[in-house]
Amino acid sequence: MESLSFSLHSNLHSLTLLQHSNQNKKRRKITHQNSLALTPWTSHTQHRLYSSNLLLALRRNSNPTASLQVRAAADRVLAATAKGRTRWSRAILANPFGRWRKQRQRHHKKVKNCSANKCMKKTTPDIRRRLPAVQKKARVLGKLIPGCRKVSFPKLLEEAGDYISALEMQVRAMKALADLLPTGAPPPDPIGLS
Amino acid sequence: MSSRRSRSRQTSSSRNITDDQINDLVSKLQQLLPEIRDRRSDKVSASKVLQETCNYIRSLHREVDDLSERLSELLATTDTAQAAIIRNLLMQ
Repeated sequence: MESLSFSLHSNLHSLTLLQHSNQNKKRRKITHQNSLALTPWTSHTQHRLYSSNLLLALRRNSNPTASLQVRAAADRVLAATAKGRTRWSRAILANPFGRWRKQRQRHHKKVKNCSANKCMKKTTPDIRRRLPAVQKKARVLGKLIPGCRKVSFPKLLEEAGDYISALEMQVRAMKALADLLPTGAPPPDPIGLS
Repeated sequence: MSSRRSRSRQTSSSRNITDDQINDLVSKLQQLLPEIRDRRSDKVSASKVLQETCNYIRSLHREVDDLSERLSELLATTDTAQAAIIRNLLMQ
């Protein structure tokens, strides 16, 4: 059960440099992933593997495939290609059909304000001035990456790096797949990355 | 106050992460962001890196959404035989 309430101490724990593991709700140790074991998203093998598996997943659906179903299939195949090595991929595979997408669309614009002194009592004055801004952005980032709402700050950075590489590969593969499919009308202009 | 008591010294000592390690992770993340990737000599704050990371992930999400819609339309006009040909092309 995912808690919707803002947990100040949980975020404080995950962001302070003295304690980086989340003690407020989960007491089990977070094992650090070996970065060498992560999927090499830039390799041609992963690209081809993803494209082939995505096409198989889409063809399994005999009915006309809705856009949301294509999206859900694309995410599940991406997570399967990652082989559950990362938290974000395990979160996608663990969720029922489409649920992650609903979570992704949810907007959390309310931010509870608090004085810096009250939140950061035990941190040094130098860190106290910088941490609130980083803390807010880290919370937003944690909501964008599947399964990373309540992870430690170093873990969040690692997951973000792998997730970005995976998304970039997903975009390349889906573009190539769309170009392969025959079309009667000229294809729309692809959105170029800045 | 109950959450304060849950902190323990053992956790603090066994799970200590140095500033250098966090700076290294932020630097690696910065290399992945097109917006600030080329500013290697400039010092970019961790807050800026996190902001650009959020923006970039959102743009990638939008792009996957658009491609999903495009693939959905294309698949509606493709029959099984053509899909099999495409699969053979992909496996080459």
